[in-house]
Amino acid sequence: MASRRRMLLKVIILGDSGVGKTSLMNQYVNKKFSNQYKATIGADFLTKEVQIDDRLFTLQIWDTAGQERFQSLGVAFYRGADCCVLVYDVNVMKSFDNLNNWREEFLVQASPSDPENFPFIVLGNKIDIDGGNSRVVSEKKVKAWCASKGNIPYFETSAKEGFNVEAAFQCIAKNALKNEPEEDIYLPDTIDVAGRATQQQSSGCEC
Amino acid sequence: MLPDTEDEEKWLAEGIAGVQHNAFYMHRALDSNDLKDVLRYSVQMLSELRTSLLSPHKYYELYMRAFDELRKVEMFFREEISRGNISVMELYELVQHAGNILPRLYLLCTVGSVYIKSKEAPAKDVLKDLVEMCLGIQHSVHGLFLRSYLCQISRDKLPDIGSEYEGDAETVNDAIEFVLQNFTEMNKLWVRMQHQTAALVSHAGIIVILKLLGDLVLRLEFELSGLQGLTREKDKREKERSQLRDLIGKNLHILSQIEGVDLDVYKETVLPRVLEQVVNCKDDVAQHYLMDCIIQVFPDEYHLQTLETLLSAFPQLQPSVDIKTVLSQLMDRLSNYATSSTEVLPEFLQVEAFGKLSNAIGKVIEAQAYMPIVGAITLYVSLLTFTLRVHPDRLDYVDQVLGACVKKFPGKAKLEDSKATKQIVALMSAPLEKYNDIVTALKLPNYPHVMDHLDNGTKKVMAVVIIQSIMKNTTCISTADKVEALFELIKGLMKDVDETQDDEIDEEDFKEEQNSVARLIHMLHNDDPEEMLKIIYTVRKYIVLGGPKRLPFTVPSLMFSALKLVRQLQGQDGEAVGEQVSATPKKIFQILHQTIEDLLSVSSPELALRLYLQCAEAANDCDLEPIAYEFFTQAFVLYEEEVADSKAQVTAIHLITGTLQRMNIFGVENRDTLTHKATGYSAKLLKKPDQCRAVYACSHLFWVDDQDGVKDGERVLLCLKRALRIANAAQQMANATRGSGDPVMLFIEILNKYLYFFEKGNPQITSSILQGLIELIKTETQSDTSSDPSADSFFASTLRYIEFQKQKGGATGEKYEPIKT
Ligand SMILES: Nc1nc2c(ncn2[C@@H]2O[C@H](COP(=O)(O)OP(=O)(O)OP(=O)(O)O)[C@@H](O)[C@H]2O)c(=O)[nH]1
Ligand SMILES: [Mg+2]
Repeated sequence: MASRRRMLLKVIILGDSGVGKTSLMNQYVNKKFSNQYKATIGADFLTKEVQIDDRLFTLQIWDTAGQERFQSLGVAFYRGADCCVLVYDVNVMKSFDNLNNWREEFLVQASPSDPENFPFIVLGNKIDIDGGNSRVVSEKKVKAWCASKGNIPYFETSAKEGFNVEAAFQCIAKNALKNEPEEDIYLPDTIDVAGRATQQQSSGCEC
Repeated sequence: MLPDTEDEEKWLAEGIAGVQHNAFYMHRALDSNDLKDVLRYSVQMLSELRTSLLSPHKYYELYMRAFDELRKVEMFFREEISRGNISVMELYELVQHAGNILPRLYLLCTVGSVYIKSKEAPAKDVLKDLVEMCLGIQHSVHGLFLRSYLCQISRDKLPDIGSEYEGDAETVNDAIEFVLQNFTEMNKLWVRMQHQTAALVSHAGIIVILKLLGDLVLRLEFELSGLQGLTREKDKREKERSQLRDLIGKNLHILSQIEGVDLDVYKETVLPRVLEQVVNCKDDVAQHYLMDCIIQVFPDEYHLQTLETLLSAFPQLQPSVDIKTVLSQLMDRLSNYATSSTEVLPEFLQVEAFGKLSNAIGKVIEAQAYMPIVGAITLYVSLLTFTLRVHPDRLDYVDQVLGACVKKFPGKAKLEDSKATKQIVALMSAPLEKYNDIVTALKLPNYPHVMDHLDNGTKKVMAVVIIQSIMKNTTCISTADKVEALFELIKGLMKDVDETQDDEIDEEDFKEEQNSVARLIHMLHNDDPEEMLKIIYTVRKYIVLGGPKRLPFTVPSLMFSALKLVRQLQGQDGEAVGEQVSATPKKIFQILHQTIEDLLSVSSPELALRLYLQCAEAANDCDLEPIAYEFFTQAFVLYEEEVADSKAQVTAIHLITGTLQRMNIFGVENRDTLTHKATGYSAKLLKKPDQCRAVYACSHLFWVDDQDGVKDGERVLLCLKRALRIANAAQQMANATRGSGDPVMLFIEILNKYLYFFEKGNPQITSSILQGLIELIKTETQSDTSSDPSADSFFASTLRYIEFQKQKGGATGEKYEPIKT
């Protein structure tokens, strides 16, 4: 059973609107990129098979809406995540400043058992723009932040050119795998299932 | 019927426990490859999703638990099939025997996902089957989550272009059709929730009434609270709907991601179908949200190329939809797009974006008769922002927007809505910020018309904004016409519009405003004297209306601006002084004369006196003796008739003497008259020490240290002697009253004057006179018991100076030699 569970690695991508979360996922999963901005609504995932040390895993990559008004249903899907990817745009300072909020929000909502050691990964995206001339967040600054949060691995990427995307996700997968799964240990106190089920039905509707 | 959060937590916990409990047995079945038990326990697990007790947020938590478990089931199904234990078709049949429809459909979707992946049936057929089966769930929340499950599992299996599921017979149209159908059904479920409210409440009511049967009092109470319950229930329902909205919007996101939804397909199929659903659902919550989604989810180019279709939907929306926000968002998005690259600008022109937007706004405002004025103005602000970014060179567009906005104002009335006013300020500030230049804004005929509709307070705010813009950009307003237009705009600051408000005006604010007007006057400039003179006339025309409180701020600015012109003319002296030229110093002095008289009429004599003297000095520099004389005479008249305060008199006298001393054009006669008066006034000051000081200062009027300045040693001596006499009198008075004041100080000051003229070679001042004075002071200081340390040290340093001069030797030393200290 445990082996069955371990075949699936759940990854959540967070970051401000427009930093390129969807683009990174599309580049990684479908090898496609579009210049057009199409806002993400809510959250959903794509899957991709990855090989780590000769073993195959399914990476379940959750892309989320950076615009708050398109996240109306809450973040229940954070539960059970194995790794959280924090994305910012190297050309937009605010998107870097907000990483802290995204990280904290994730820790509060997902409440992993060992928040200190929960695997995060930071991606600085859009390094292709203007040949890097318009970047405003220095590598030094990001790395200092990453170091202060327990040595979060950091990658500079371009979803547009596919630069470093594969490497970043390989690292994401490896770190997700390192995460100890938190399967709730559930032991039934009674083997009589049918009784409880009928009881439950009375409060449900007729469908 | 309204669960409080505590109950809800409890129900959620129960639901989760149910899921975990069944999942436990399901896992066992998975481990032992027992398909039958896997199905049995997953059905029981999924039955937990049949609850109606949870809010969408909580339901989502429960759903996610089941969702995660279903991934394991899906994997198991795939394994079973690959092991050859069952075919996917058989499995698809098998799960349909599950007793309850909701668990059955979740399982069916899960198998469907495997089915499509196996490619044993065309994706299109499976999806069509599933989306139709889902019609079986008409409970809104259950149906919406089930369909979003379908959305998720089909997400990477749509037969769109380039996908591995794009079979021969399948086209991207099938994928689009599937998502559109799911979208439509979900929207229906979502909209219907709104109308379930009433039914649910009455249903709940009946149950409660039955329970309370027999107890009349309680029943009455219930009926009363039932009404409150109705609105509370409605609020709650709206909140729930709003939590659910992203489930519906998600479909639009998926549509936008489908490879093959190119501009044509979007234009021909996607947009019309989506809009049809949006318009026809007649639900304001859905309409607002979905229009917002369409704008955000599809790319800029698509909006630009389908602007007409998109915009045509707006007037058809429910009147209660907050169209202005949505439309503003569209315009914001498009204007960002326009600024993203210059290459896209031709696109905007080609589709006539401005015309279409402007037209649409007009229609929306017309259609929404009850839209508050602030709504209309907000729309115009967005349109203006769009225009300024996309067509910065089209002033006519900008003016058109302002004009359209003006038309929305009711008659001559002023705006009273404070939010609307704020928007107007934004509207009027936008062109200033864009062009960094009021001159451009002044070219817009409708700009002042918008201003006309502001209340007085806002007019002032706007005027200050305009002035700040000018100062910040150091914009030079260079013609009289522009000055006129500008003053028309800011006249709220230039005169009292409404006396009744007078006492409400904050003194500090008023000063600040008037200072800014004063600074503004310096920005009105043209190098051409003729035009500059016109500007001065115009400024004068406006500032004289300002009344007693404003003139003291504005007149000096005008004066100095005009005097600058005088200096300029004086510089190009003789060059272009033809007959026809009107900009002559004479002319300007005339205006200034009148302007100072205006100032006098509002009783600011001290300021007027200073300005007369300034003018006199300027006239002196222009060699205009009669004019300079006239200004002096005016200053004297003022001094005699208007300056009553003794301190003000002292200041005025010193100003007069100082100025007079610098004048060099007066002939002997004029000069005598003026100096005579000045000394006369000095001697008549109220306090002896003031008299004394003013009189000895007058000595300078007779000895100007220039090459050809006046040098009348005799009259210098007369002044100094007179000063001594006054000092003497002052001393006697001081002795008599044992009062304060220090006449010795006056003697020392006079001694210093003597020394000055002695050194300058005034033959009337001899070393013996000096010696006498020194002795006098010495006896005075010795007899004075309450000696003043500052006088002592002043005297000491004066003596040191004399010693120093002696030691210099040469002519100077010789001159000082006889003096004994
Ligand atoms: N030049 C460049 N543009 C990129 C890159 N990644 C994304 N973009 C562009 O940035 C815009 C936003 O990208 P998305 O992937 O939609 O951003 P997002 O983070 O998913 O945004 P939300 O869904 O609103 O949260 C799109 O126009 C992309 O084409 C990149 O690496 N380089
Ligand atoms: Mg996105």
